[in-house]
Amino acid sequence: MAGVELHRLRKEFGAFVALEGLDLRVEEGEFVALLGPSGCGKTTTLRMLAGLEFPTAGEIRIGGRVVNDLPPARRDVAMVFQSYALYPHMTVAQNIAYPLKKRGVPRAERAAAVARVAELLQLTPLLDRRPRQLSGGQQQRVALGRALVRDPQVFLLDEPLSNLDAKLRAHMRAELIELHHRLGRTMIYVTHDQLEAMTMSDRIAVLSAGRLMQFDTPGAIYDRPANRFVAGFIGTPAMNLIEGRIAAGRFTGQGLDLPLAPGLPEGPAVLGVRPEHVTIGEGAQRGRVRVVEPTGHETIVIAELPGGALVTARAPARARPAIGEVLPLGLDPDGLHLFAADEEGARIDPAR
Amino acid sequence: MTFLGRLAFNLIAWALVLVIAFPLAWMVVTALKPQSELFRRPPGFLPEAPTLDHFRRLLEETPFATYFGNSVILATATTAVVIALATLGAYSLVRFRYRGRESLAFLVLFTYLLPSVVLILPLYLMMVRLGLANTLASLVIAYTTFALPYALWLLRSFMAGVPEDLESAALVDGASRLGAFRDVILPQLVPGIISTALFTFILSWNEYLYALVLVNSDAARPLTTGVMSMLISAFNIEWSLLMAASVMMSLPLIVVFAFLQGYLTRGFGAGAVKG
Repeated sequence: MAGVELHRLRKEFGAFVALEGLDLRVEEGEFVALLGPSGCGKTTTLRMLAGLEFPTAGEIRIGGRVVNDLPPARRDVAMVFQSYALYPHMTVAQNIAYPLKKRGVPRAERAAAVARVAELLQLTPLLDRRPRQLSGGQQQRVALGRALVRDPQVFLLDEPLSNLDAKLRAHMRAELIELHHRLGRTMIYVTHDQLEAMTMSDRIAVLSAGRLMQFDTPGAIYDRPANRFVAGFIGTPAMNLIEGRIAAGRFTGQGLDLPLAPGLPEGPAVLGVRPEHVTIGEGAQRGRVRVVEPTGHETIVIAELPGGALVTARAPARARPAIGEVLPLGLDPDGLHLFAADEEGARIDPAR
Repeated sequence: MTFLGRLAFNLIAWALVLVIAFPLAWMVVTALKPQSELFRRPPGFLPEAPTLDHFRRLLEETPFATYFGNSVILATATTAVVIALATLGAYSLVRFRYRGRESLAFLVLFTYLLPSVVLILPLYLMMVRLGLANTLASLVIAYTTFALPYALWLLRSFMAGVPEDLESAALVDGASRLGAFRDVILPQLVPGIISTALFTFILSWNEYLYALVLVNSDAARPLTTGVMSMLISAFNIEWSLLMAASVMMSLPLIVVFAFLQGYLTRGFGAGAVKG
């Protein structure tokens, strides 16, 4: 068992830069999600950790040991693939036993280990089947079993739940959390699903276009997004981002005029506010109702500000504002985030 | 489909089968007819006094058995060499990233487009220099030149159908590159290898031109040229022996086909292989 350190890790595919200098330190026993849209470099990072891709520059340490030039077999990591990658010509038992076989574990020990893992993952009745005779959820479990059988230093999981239907996914999510809790192993989990990242991880590394946007606990990432990308990426419905400017201690733009905390730099800025911090029906601002989406436990209302920008609000379950109606609209002063208007969009905090 | 439509369809299909199968049937029937019945007018379809005499003469009085042995060795050796090279070559073309990979694949195909007549003389001279003239080995090399590009392309599409994740998984699970290839890739390729091997075997079994030019001794002659030189002279064609020889030449292929038909037809659908 060991922590993982990435130091200025860089990967290029020809002219395309998949990862530009990633620094990341995963503690021993930690569950870390690499989260980002497709093409952000998260899977490339995981494959480099596994030894399936080699970095263009930078350093990878597993348990303090530099593994840059080691082949996958000598890194002592286990990986679960998005496609499960079960060996179609082997039975479930042979699939699970394969990593042990490759490491020269004697047959009797192998059988015992397979039985133990099968028990843990409720695969015992399926051991003689072949992968194609299994359901998606069962295949997923076998892939997990193949990783668990060996007790590696680090577990790498590449979108392991994305091929399951919604119900099974929720179930497997809970099982994975429990498994991590029980094993206490370092796990690195790649996903594009923020719900998976938020619910399962100790910390989340948000990646975009090959760069680390933020690395923090799920709570901190939700409450204090480090930049506009993280703000817009995390949370459903997404955070409202409204362009405007800060002047004389107020934010103005799109017909909004809000008092701000003192100590903010003047100039163009982007205001971020989550839908749960927008109230419809009361407040000092105004908006015209455009869309009403009742979901059962709440109602999502999209309103148009006088400046034309759209604002999403979470309203109570029974709220039914008429479409076209102009209503008062309130923004909770404690729920406001400010970001720079430049491309980076870094978070702006009041000077103290 | 209406009854009439089905009837018409069946009639046409069976008519086609008849047309295609007739020469084969005629070959078998002729091989069984005694010499006296061969040129009788009007010709009878079934032999009146069927005989295996031609087969006996072929095996006892001619070098047919030697030729047959040569053909078996030749086709088997060629298939083994071609499959070994093509499997590894296809693996490289599909899995490794290197400059000119695609161009290499097409270059290989272009060599196949050269008419073999152009290559025969240079090949012959090469074999002489290598001291391989008049040997089976020279034919194995020659057949490999035209069977390998084809086999490489066929196996390449099979290889592309094997998910890369399988190999990655094996590597992470502790296998070496070669170990992953042997444990995981090769078993997925079995249908592809079998159908490619069949194609190669048939190509080498039926090859005539190279065998005619490169080999000039009875000890190394395969069936195709051996039977021709033995039974067809400027003055006479030994029809009954020729037909008996043809039956025995086709028999191994028919047997092999019958057993591996499923794999062979799958070869035509290569690329549609599901991981």
